[in-house]
Amino acid sequence: MEKEGLSATVDPDGELVTAAAAGSRDAFDELVRRHQSAMLTLARVLTGGRGDADDLAQEAFVRAWRNLPAFRGDSTFRTWLHRVAINVVRTSQAKEGRLRRLFDAGGRSDEPFDPPDTGEPIETALARRQAIDRALASLPYELRLPVTLRDLQGLEYKEIAALLKVPIGTVESRIFRARQRLRPLLASLVERHV
Amino acid sequence: MFDDQETVAAVLRSTPPPDVPGDFLARVNARIDATAGWLGLADFRTWTLRLAPAAAALALAGLLWPAPSVSTTPVPSVTATPATVFSPSSSSDWQQDVTGDAMLDAALTPADRGRAR
Repeated sequence: MEKEGLSATVDPDGELVTAAAAGSRDAFDELVRRHQSAMLTLARVLTGGRGDADDLAQEAFVRAWRNLPAFRGDSTFRTWLHRVAINVVRTSQAKEGRLRRLFDAGGRSDEPFDPPDTGEPIETALARRQAIDRALASLPYELRLPVTLRDLQGLEYKEIAALLKVPIGTVESRIFRARQRLRPLLASLVERHV
Repeated sequence: MFDDQETVAAVLRSTPPPDVPGDFLARVNARIDATAGWLGLADFRTWTLRLAPAAAALALAGLLWPAPSVSTTPVPSVTATPATVFSPSSSSDWQQDVTGDAMLDAALTPADRGRAR
């Protein structure tokens, strides 16, 4: 039986994953090089552009290395790594939330931190990225995650559905709603893009 | 509306990639090495594997080691007082009228000899 609807997909990382699971650090290094940018992007968006995105992306790779022998190949390595990273960020946010409730009587909301506007012209890569980060940070988590996985990370709908354990129709509708909400927030970038 | 969807998707796809710190890989490796030390000690699978030869050797020794033979040396017999034979397995022995000597005798007599009587 096809697991998660992905078994027919050939994993481009397959050989490296096999070698890394057998203990090859060189193979794992190559996997890190291939996916570090995607993991940083994911961590940055999920944390709303906070400074610990870098740290969380590293932690995702550490967990991946530790759990690689248990990876059964039900999905591609990339999808599995995304799941690991999402769990790392979620755990960190839950821990942070508990600490905040303990020490902050004011009870700040769990909404992500809004990245600062550096005032750079929108043409620069940094300013574009920050504008997109800000727009994404304004979305609720259940919309932000699927649209990030689809449009920034390039995952297929069925991969996202398997990853989030929701029906594919739910993924499609969340992405649709997320893009609708993002449209006015990204107006300056959209106009340049059209 | 669907054009908007595509346009937003295109803008998101065009997000410039993040600047990956030059030492990102080195830091991942350092963290893996740091956790491998104490985590390796806590990993029961490692211990199970490492202790497998010792367990096998113990099992083999248990199979091959000669069972202790029943000693043929005569055990010096303890003179028991015939009237006060005491066997702790019998509930009637746990009565008040058992003498101290009988109890001491029962305690000093090997179990199998006590049963034989």
